[in-house]
Amino acid sequence: MRYAHIALCCAFLSMILCSRNTPCAAADGTRSVPGTSKVAENMLPDDQVIQLPVKNDPTVSFRIWFKVGSVDDPWNKRGLAALTASMLASASTQDNSYAEILAKLFPLAAEYGESVTVEMTVISGRTHKDNLADYYPLLRDAILRPAFKQEDLDRLKADTLNYLQNTLRYASDEELGKAVLYNDVFDWGDYGHIAAGTIEGVKSITLDDVRAFYKSHYTRKQVVLGIGGGYDSATLARVRRDLAQLPAGTWKPPPERTPEKPHGLKVTIVEKEDAPATAISMGFPINVLRGHKDWYALALANSWLGEHRNSSSHLYQVIREARGLNYGDYSYIENYPHGGALQIPPQNVCRRHQIFEIWIRPVPNETRHFALRAAIRELKHLVDDGLSEKDFALTRDFLSKYVLHYAPTTFARLGYALDDRFYKIDGSHLDIYRKRLAEMTRDEVNAAVKKHLQYENMHIVIVTKDAKALKEALVSDAPSPIKYATPKPESVLQEDEAISRFPLKIKAEDVRIVPVAELFEK
Amino acid sequence: MIRLTAGVCLLWTTCGAAVAVDGVFPYPYHKHTLPNGLTAIIIPMESPGLVAYYSVVRTGSRDEVEPGRSGFAHFFEHMMFRGTKKYPQNAYNAIVTGIGAQANAFTTDDLTAYHLTFAKVDLEKVIEIESDRFQNLDYGKPAFQTEAGAVYGEYRKSVTEPFALLQEKLQDTAYDVHTYKHTTMGFEADIKTMPAAYDYSREFFRRFYRPENVVLIVAGDVDPKAAMTLIEKYYGKWKKGYVAPDVKMEPIHTKERTAEVSYPGRTLPLLVVAYQGDAYDPANRDYVAALLLDDLAFGESSPLFRKLVIEEQKVQFIGAHFPQNRNMPLFEIISMVKKADDLDYVKNEIYRTLEEFKEEPADAKKLAELKRRNKYAFLMQLDTPDHVAGALARLAALTGSIETVNEFYAAIDKVTPEDVQNAARRYFVPGRRTVVVLKGAAE
Repeated sequence: MRYAHIALCCAFLSMILCSRNTPCAAADGTRSVPGTSKVAENMLPDDQVIQLPVKNDPTVSFRIWFKVGSVDDPWNKRGLAALTASMLASASTQDNSYAEILAKLFPLAAEYGESVTVEMTVISGRTHKDNLADYYPLLRDAILRPAFKQEDLDRLKADTLNYLQNTLRYASDEELGKAVLYNDVFDWGDYGHIAAGTIEGVKSITLDDVRAFYKSHYTRKQVVLGIGGGYDSATLARVRRDLAQLPAGTWKPPPERTPEKPHGLKVTIVEKEDAPATAISMGFPINVLRGHKDWYALALANSWLGEHRNSSSHLYQVIREARGLNYGDYSYIENYPHGGALQIPPQNVCRRHQIFEIWIRPVPNETRHFALRAAIRELKHLVDDGLSEKDFALTRDFLSKYVLHYAPTTFARLGYALDDRFYKIDGSHLDIYRKRLAEMTRDEVNAAVKKHLQYENMHIVIVTKDAKALKEALVSDAPSPIKYATPKPESVLQEDEAISRFPLKIKAEDVRIVPVAELFEK
Repeated sequence: MIRLTAGVCLLWTTCGAAVAVDGVFPYPYHKHTLPNGLTAIIIPMESPGLVAYYSVVRTGSRDEVEPGRSGFAHFFEHMMFRGTKKYPQNAYNAIVTGIGAQANAFTTDDLTAYHLTFAKVDLEKVIEIESDRFQNLDYGKPAFQTEAGAVYGEYRKSVTEPFALLQEKLQDTAYDVHTYKHTTMGFEADIKTMPAAYDYSREFFRRFYRPENVVLIVAGDVDPKAAMTLIEKYYGKWKKGYVAPDVKMEPIHTKERTAEVSYPGRTLPLLVVAYQGDAYDPANRDYVAALLLDDLAFGESSPLFRKLVIEEQKVQFIGAHFPQNRNMPLFEIISMVKKADDLDYVKNEIYRTLEEFKEEPADAKKLAELKRRNKYAFLMQLDTPDHVAGALARLAALTGSIETVNEFYAAIDKVTPEDVQNAARRYFVPGRRTVVVLKGAAE
């Protein structure tokens, strides 16, 4: 999705306010099936096709995955992977200008778009079956016959630069904090920068760069077709034939590398002169992915600590519900982009290196030190003490049903099927998730917590004003008592005393201050 | 985008007679109104094992008529999660968590909606806890004051967004007496004083959280008769007592209004050109036709989008939003302009476009394409119980039911190119116009 579209949605949704959790539905028993036909030379092979036929679905969903992402950006052209995908899905083809494409899609009520993350690029779309004949050629040409026109590149670059220079820096402090956190955690060069790139990188990208990137990465070797819904065999064969026209290419996975945990608490304070509140994100790399048995145990513990946008989150209970400091507090064991806009996990944002992450939504500036301490203290309690039997049982019951909401539509289930392929999961992650929950024990959960989580070595990003004063407070580990405008129960006040003195042991050399206007430049 | 399709719907009335109605909505539904005025709409649909449950309160920021109370409907939405004597907050949360429900709520100008999606075996439990909190909400002053902090936190997380600032300024400028003058979030000064409004919050509950002001929508894998029986059992004793707010109607303005607002961060300039529209009324031919101008004049396939976004590349985006409201909304056209020097140019291009629609009937082919688009968008939207119930929530708030969905979409289907021309002439005149520009801090 282009950044202008996101902005337009923000404009029109600004009058709708939500208070806590979520919307959606569940599975209808459909399953992804392997290809079974005998494959001709000119067809995309079975192992590069993921099918999800749903007989009664009046729509057809496409998710066409290319094994390329921002990790493949050249060091001096950060943003090239994202711009190249946009030059396919949000630009002209050889037969139609971008304006003509929009005009042809208009009566179909259908569209297609691109999603680029660190290791995945997916061109996806959905149409009603009645309109498939008109829709599919447009989608196909976007992938196979892009025009690569200078005017499209100019438009898309301007959109990206506006996002980097203005929107990301100023419009949402929490999204800003998360972007900086990933930069800090994966600081080895090619894995931490956001897919949109850097200002210098985007400015330098030329049409030749885009053409070359397309030629090397949009190959038969790197594509996986995901198709779902009410399609027929002729449609499937046609798409497989078309995608087989991509150049053969070569592909090997990016080199293995184990991210290192920081030593101690490393703090980046993003200074914003007029910040009305303070946004906090923190995290560290974890070495566990979907499919691994520890992942499911860790997911349960994480759900208890910080289920995304859900009042069942313990952090939410401590920071928002008992103290009213902010709008919500959550934690993650998988990347969760656009968390402020989503209620259930996104698909097709897979990555080989994940982090454990805590997201503290903006708190009053005068409570920033306190809120940081409160979050880390709760993490410490989880790591040191583990989950109680009661909390374990409640969270297991919750998740056993809640994961049904993760994939309510064919389009979402197709997304999960692609994710299963990425993580090399034999079967369905969501099925395994529920099966694992049914047999899980509290000891397993607490063992996984001990093994993968900790609280002394983390990156912390704080978007706020008066950065120097905050640095001094952090480094001195001075108490951070909190004052409320309204009465609080004695139990809360007693706990506040402990929170306000909770030692963070942050060293002066581990705190850096960055003016917001300097971010994402290079 | 407005969505419609053709089809036949069976409308079951309370006396049990089945009435076949030509209409857009593809699912048969069952409607029942309890003696206390509570309306329940049950929509069975294929969704193995899942049910969506919406409680739509026909009260939103529009109903905040007292000075100093802007934002209160939204604040009160938060308080609805603070429990009852029977199910205190922790008990309510434990039930919702235990059944693995997706549960949330939202507030807009005209409504507040509480919704859950869950397994069908839990339907009775959900009806029990939802009916309980709507009748017996009980919270103390400390909980109320703490929640005010969370609401202020919600304001703080959004206030850095330039569109929030633009919208706030637009509404404040375009309205004098109607409560649409403030956003759903409310003015910051009023949010700050919320902790002192405990007594008012109890009054707010007594006035608005009454059966005759609420519509239930239950969609999914549900047996209508059994669901109705449960609703009668748990909501039957809820007492009437809704007190309609004295919402002052905004007069039609005769002179254009303008305003400018500064954003403390950096952003490209934003321009909004808004016109006083009309309240939701499927029988109002001009109003229905005007809604189509949203896409015809400013959608992604419109000549103006092509010119400003794709060819000249003077704007980052342009789009329109013509909402459906209980009273007079604003028909808004919004654009992010790349250079401040081009603001007047873009504004004049918007005016020029609207003048063209006044001078000649709309392009018949384009109008037909829009109708086709609406049909398929509607068909593709209604794919889960939550999407179905959510799509109908606003209509339920505007009218108290969903019957007019068919009437409304039938009216849209009948719109002619001349109707669009008449609508353009009626609404898009300088006297009804408010223009607001937002500019960011200098580099």
